[in-house]
Amino acid sequence: MNIAKIGKWALPLSLAVTAVTACAGKDNDSASSSPAASSPAASSSSSSPAASPSAEAQDPFGKYPETVTVSEVIGYNPPEDPRTPKGLTPDKNAYLKDLKDMMNIDVKFKWMVPSSQYEQKFSLALASGDLPDILELDQKNYEKLKNQNMLADLTEAYAQYASPDLKKYMESDGGFAMKTFSSDGKQLAIPAFEDPFLSTQILWIRKDWLDTLQLQPPTTMEELDKVADAFVNQDPDQNGQKDTYGVALQKTLFFWGFDLRGFFNGFGAYPSVGDAQSAWIKGADGKLVPGLIQPEMKEGLTMLQSWYKRGILNKEFALKDENKVVEDLVAGKVGISYGEWWYPNWPLNSSVDKDPKANWIAIQIPGLDGPGKSLVPKIRSGKVFAVSKNMKHPEAAIKMLNFYIEKGYKKYYDPKSAEKGYVYNWFNPRIYNPAEIETIYTEVNKALEANQTEITLEDQNYSTVQGRFEATKDYFAKDTSKASNGVNWGQYFSRVAKDGGWGVTRQIKEKQAFVNNEFYGLPTATVVSKGSQLDKLMQESFTKIIMGAPVDEFDKFVASWKSLGGDQIIQEVNDWYSKEAVK
Amino acid sequence: MRTLKKDWPLHVMVWPGVIFTLIYAYGPMAGLVMAFQEFEPLAGFFKSKFIGWDNFSYVFHLPDFGQVLWNTIIIAVFKMVLFLLVPLILALMLNEVTRRWFSRFVQSAIFLPFFLSWTVLGGIIIEIFSLNGPVNGILSSLGLEPIMFMLNNGWFRSIIIGTDVWKGMGYNMIIMLAAITGIHATLYEAAEVDGAGRWKQMLHITLPGIAPIVILLSVLGLGGILNAGFEQILIMYNPTVYEGADVIDTFVYRLGIFSQQFGPAAAIGLFKSGISLALVSVTYYAAYKYNNYRIF
Repeated sequence: MNIAKIGKWALPLSLAVTAVTACAGKDNDSASSSPAASSPAASSSSSSPAASPSAEAQDPFGKYPETVTVSEVIGYNPPEDPRTPKGLTPDKNAYLKDLKDMMNIDVKFKWMVPSSQYEQKFSLALASGDLPDILELDQKNYEKLKNQNMLADLTEAYAQYASPDLKKYMESDGGFAMKTFSSDGKQLAIPAFEDPFLSTQILWIRKDWLDTLQLQPPTTMEELDKVADAFVNQDPDQNGQKDTYGVALQKTLFFWGFDLRGFFNGFGAYPSVGDAQSAWIKGADGKLVPGLIQPEMKEGLTMLQSWYKRGILNKEFALKDENKVVEDLVAGKVGISYGEWWYPNWPLNSSVDKDPKANWIAIQIPGLDGPGKSLVPKIRSGKVFAVSKNMKHPEAAIKMLNFYIEKGYKKYYDPKSAEKGYVYNWFNPRIYNPAEIETIYTEVNKALEANQTEITLEDQNYSTVQGRFEATKDYFAKDTSKASNGVNWGQYFSRVAKDGGWGVTRQIKEKQAFVNNEFYGLPTATVVSKGSQLDKLMQESFTKIIMGAPVDEFDKFVASWKSLGGDQIIQEVNDWYSKEAVK
Repeated sequence: MRTLKKDWPLHVMVWPGVIFTLIYAYGPMAGLVMAFQEFEPLAGFFKSKFIGWDNFSYVFHLPDFGQVLWNTIIIAVFKMVLFLLVPLILALMLNEVTRRWFSRFVQSAIFLPFFLSWTVLGGIIIEIFSLNGPVNGILSSLGLEPIMFMLNNGWFRSIIIGTDVWKGMGYNMIIMLAAITGIHATLYEAAEVDGAGRWKQMLHITLPGIAPIVILLSVLGLGGILNAGFEQILIMYNPTVYEGADVIDTFVYRLGIFSQQFGPAAAIGLFKSGISLALVSVTYYAAYKYNNYRIF
């Protein structure tokens, strides 16, 4: 009973406690960030002994004379590579040892949590003002911290310390992304952006099931409907039981995978680029309209409802998170999933390992008459790296970015890196070559055609390309000494195969079979304040319609969406469009 | 001073509790000030702007608020009543069991789930009531249609209430059993001499004997009228059952943590506490007036 009583004070309590620690925390932060070098000049590298004015370029890889301690936080998943030593944690990542050796930077994690808890944990840290030195932010949190004047100006640090490779990446889009994250001439964050076509939606389907049932890969929604129905009713896995379903779907309807983006695109509806906020397309009058509330959505919902009734969607999809759906995919319970190019890399590789007969292929999404057009954003930048204002050495963040890119050169390449405890996606800050996948695709195919034994590349892309090249060769040679057949296939079929994930995406790009998401600004004020209520409204309405509520509920949803803040958002987005968009 | 000298061990024992309460229950109340502020975490209490009652009116005008309040009351009232009735019946029944080992065993078995965390239990319950779970297995073996318990508003609410009562009933049951043990054996002997059977003994001795404890538990319970069980619902709900199971606490959670609207979230918290305080006061007064029973 006492516990219950405390519970009612829980929120004010936790907020108050954290707010109190906020004041205390600030002092600690600045103190902990560096016990060493108190004058920034002393920390510059040994290569420029002549005392120089601050604007001059410094050695991007220079070693600090005294150890600089940098605090970070991390939400992490288990390592992708099964060969990684068991029980490894991000603070034991081999990259950190190399970083210390090369630059004398010591990374301390304030906390490490599974990535599913990251958002919540980070929000709490934000509420308490207990921020690490280096921040990995989504756009919403970037906006918040910027407004609260918590971010360090990186202009000078970037100009002085960015390595040529990092600068090349940042300039690859004409400086467009960098500009998005600067304000009043101050560079407040370094964006990690990628080729926007990586977001292209394609359809992954079990070719072996199609063959068993003597069906063709679907090109229209009508054909997809028939195929999916057959996957439910005609026993595609030939085990004599009706235990398969058609299309994979998890409870978050718009997400980074196993969701409905590509499905709706097939109806010419463009509701989302993968989060709960609407995507924006150009309307007939030249203004931007939210794809989420367009009438085309209704047709899609009608079909989903029928799919649900006929068992093409799992009856309990509304209880399944992405992990549960992946279980179904791997167990061979479902034969179709909408998604991006990387599925073979995960989770389809496990499906292939479990059932060697499983033959997943990638096709352009079916549309109303003939293949449909996928939505593609103008920029793909999930996260940005910023530095807390209290950090003494903002340039250390830039140097760490240099470090990660530098590690791609041939001289650092190590085919046994996973066994030695290198986990690339536990290292932050980390920026990839925006054209990484395209580079792998062209370079590996070039090497394959010329029958080379090694990649000829000499630049910072060597490691990634060589790694995929070896996996591809192993896959063709059926060599499973380094990795399982599924893992090799996944590397090959996601990035290298002409009919694989990236191969099909390239064809779609060439054919111009896509529609752009026209809004690429930061979340507007109303999205920040009311977004989560609109999100709840959408999830609730759509899920209910799919599960059998009248499709006309959609009209009610549209009306509520608009009155609960949607109209304001439409206004704000169009204000942005007329002022800031590059048309 | 004299009492202090005599009773110093008691003082030593009470102080940790008092200090704990001061720090963790009274201290944070200062945080309620953010209910009246446009609170910016990094600016803190002193620099955030005061906006009067705006947060309250904002919250009360949110379209979901009515539904959320209603859900909270329904779920909390059912839980409260069942948390008294079920343990009471269990305690009375256990009291009649004459084999000690059996009574001990049942007590432990009933008390055990109290110690399990919802984080673990939530997943298990979702599986038990899923389409392929044992409950639907029994239904289909009886020739009944399977039911999607976790996706149906009516069922979901019953499951929330039922499982919470099942999990927590051992706690109140132990308190009531202890109260029964405290009833003087001479009363029962006298009743037996007067020819009362076990049923009459229970009705006229056991029940009146533990009435004060039952009243105490209900007064304490009423303070939690707007606590419908945050952890449990958060772990078990999904968008399909928001309509029937979204309660104030989950609402505040989404508002405070995910939308980071700390001001409005604190405003709801304060509103909840206000209601609880009023209800506890009324019950306490009623218990005093009609039953001449007081806690303090």
